[in-house]
Amino acid sequence: MNAKKFASVFLASSLLLPSFGMLAGCSGEEVTVLKVYNWEEYIDEGGKDSYVYDMLLDEGEDPDEDDAPPIIEDFETWYKDTYGEEVKVSYSTFGTNEDMYNELKLGNVYDLLCPSDYMIMKLANEVREDGTPYLEKYDESFFDPEREVNGEKINYYIRNVSPYIKKQFETNAGLETPEGEPRWSEYAAGYMWGTTGFVYNPEVRDKQGNPIDLGSLLEEKDWRIFIDSNVKGLITAKDNVRDTYFAALGVTYEEGENGLSALHEAFLSGELSQEEYTKEITRIFNRTDSETIDAVKPELMKIKENIHSFETDTGKADMVNGTIWLNYAWSGDAVYALNEAELGETDRNGNTVPGSELYLSYYVPEAGSNLWFDGWVMTKHVAEDPSGKTKQAAQAFVNFMSRPDNAMRNSYYIGYTSVISGENDEMLDYIDWLYGGEENEEDFYDLSYFFGREAGTVGVYADEEQRTSRQLYAQFPPQEVISRCAVMDYYRKDASERINELWSQVKAETLDTWAIVVICLVVVAIALFTVFVKFGGKIDLFRPKPKKGYHKV
Amino acid sequence: MKLPRFSRKALCIPYGVFLLFFVVAPMLVILFFAFTDAAGHFSFANFIKFFSDPTKLSTIVYSLVIALVTTVVALLIAYPVAYILARSHIKKKYVILMLFVLPMWINFVLRVNAIRELFNLLAQAEALAWLANANYFKTIFGMVYDFLPFMILPLYTTMMKIDNSLYEASADLGGSALTTFARVTLPLSMPGIMSGVTMVFLPSMTNYVVSDMLGNAKVTIIGKFIYTYFGNDWNMGSMIALVLLVVVFLSTWLTGGFKADETVRGANL
Repeated sequence: MNAKKFASVFLASSLLLPSFGMLAGCSGEEVTVLKVYNWEEYIDEGGKDSYVYDMLLDEGEDPDEDDAPPIIEDFETWYKDTYGEEVKVSYSTFGTNEDMYNELKLGNVYDLLCPSDYMIMKLANEVREDGTPYLEKYDESFFDPEREVNGEKINYYIRNVSPYIKKQFETNAGLETPEGEPRWSEYAAGYMWGTTGFVYNPEVRDKQGNPIDLGSLLEEKDWRIFIDSNVKGLITAKDNVRDTYFAALGVTYEEGENGLSALHEAFLSGELSQEEYTKEITRIFNRTDSETIDAVKPELMKIKENIHSFETDTGKADMVNGTIWLNYAWSGDAVYALNEAELGETDRNGNTVPGSELYLSYYVPEAGSNLWFDGWVMTKHVAEDPSGKTKQAAQAFVNFMSRPDNAMRNSYYIGYTSVISGENDEMLDYIDWLYGGEENEEDFYDLSYFFGREAGTVGVYADEEQRTSRQLYAQFPPQEVISRCAVMDYYRKDASERINELWSQVKAETLDTWAIVVICLVVVAIALFTVFVKFGGKIDLFRPKPKKGYHKV
Repeated sequence: MKLPRFSRKALCIPYGVFLLFFVVAPMLVILFFAFTDAAGHFSFANFIKFFSDPTKLSTIVYSLVIALVTTVVALLIAYPVAYILARSHIKKKYVILMLFVLPMWINFVLRVNAIRELFNLLAQAEALAWLANANYFKTIFGMVYDFLPFMILPLYTTMMKIDNSLYEASADLGGSALTTFARVTLPLSMPGIMSGVTMVFLPSMTNYVVSDMLGNAKVTIIGKFIYTYFGNDWNMGSMIALVLLVVVFLSTWLTGGFKADETVRGANL
């Protein structure tokens, strides 16, 4: 084939290609594309670890992976059945709230995001450079429990969300947000929530082989476990400023007259009401003024000195293999670590090695800890579709994920706690199925607050370990734990700068000023010396450049 | 239909476009961010803040020191290896060379993770318990391990090219083994050393995967700093990146890395 022929074929095919595309576009109905941007491993992805698969196993069937499709595929099918239209979910994931924020800021387009509480507030309050807001509000109709599509009451979110979570979203979980700032509920529908605390190994031994009761030590020290010499090099902090700064606030303000512990005492004795107490601890855990930063800094330094590592994902493995004793963790990760450790090591045949099972525990500091929520928010992009179908699909996605059976699937797969309680308390059966035990009066684990009922009426029966330190306690915290937890606001401009500075000072080593000056001088001297050796005597700006050796003829 | 005639220069166009989009444009973006504030106005604030903040300057110094130690250690290990491989008459010496380069074919994060677990295991022994907190040691160990092939290869290729008759000439003229090394081997392998040093020194200032995983994230090098700042303050992040760029540029220039010397080119990978 000569060049001419090749070129004509190439040109012809390039002309044809777009029309192929058009043909394909014309043949079917228009497909709505919904771009969902979620955390990594934060949704049911089907297969062997999924709820559907394990349920089939439970029923004595022999399922293969295809019997348990990812939940997103099920959503697409459901959407077609219900709305009679096609939707294609384009799903991508992020690792941190900040990564997600950067992607948005760069102008990448998504329809539905799942940021954490503080990032929801940041996005709701900020505008893009061209003045347009980031987020789109939910429709009025999204909150109508009776709304029907194709004979199905499709507003699953509003019907099934836990009354407790609903209230948190309507009140910004007790944060004192400035006048005029929106409520979370205007922009966000909850997805998962939880606490932060410590995963610990209750059966560790010191070098002499004496058992150490970490549980009691934690109760005694609380946040100050971070700077306790008994666990030096055996505890981890998070490698992000928000969680570790929160912990350092705990260490700094735990004791003292108006400290966190004293406030907790006052709350328990009835001196402070729940509202007053929440207000007080929320205020403490959100302090970012210079005075606080000066007070927290030395504690952070002590923490750095005492911990094994700053980590984001190595903590779970280090916990299981015994490198560390305590891991500061989010409750969902804690559940995951507890589950994994309990399985023990497996040998080549897939059987558990006897004695390798490890029973870890979870502890939420008495003096108060962090309460967090992740929720679905829609970006302005959904409103750019004039047909409104993208927005409809986004809201349908949230509703589908909020259907109790789907909430169970997601929760089961990722270990985190869904915000869904179920209009007929469906979630209770799930909790009972997972953790329930024999019905003994004294084994009652009260979860009435989550289901929006009067105290003492709704709960499960579980053994003491589950109730006080194991998965049940981590995944579905009792009211007494929730009552002492506070949410974190986002750092406003000045505070953000101060805290970044603090964090870089903590993470990096700082030399004395004189040392820096000396080093700079030495570096400059070496550079000058090298320049001198290289060009010594050769630098002459006024000498004309030598002519080039070759001339064009 | 007549095709436009291509000159040989036209073949450079794709590369030119590539360089423009993936090298020049990103640099301009960094420059822009470094000298603007959050609102996008021109400002020297980041520049001043950087050079008046002892923490940031210290981090540069620490990164330089870590990179320097890594480079020296890697050179000390790699030089004899390359020398032996190039000079000896071992059969199938490319197999040995291959063994040194082999780890490069395995995913880097995986290797670092393996070293991490290895150190964890070793630290459980009473006598090696100090390893648990030897974060700088572990970081440098990891860096040396990771970058060693980049030091061995250019050294090996340069030394292979040294003509054997030069050694014989040196011996004929009465040069001792030491003199031969100092006057023949070392000067002639200099391009390889330079190339190896550049390839190890620069990445080890920024490779924070190693410092995070082996240094338990308690060792902070400049690369990690840039990453952290890009979480919420792009302008400062860009300024740090720019300073690093200048440091790298100067050190490359001073060590002659830009010279399109025949031998240097041959020594590069």
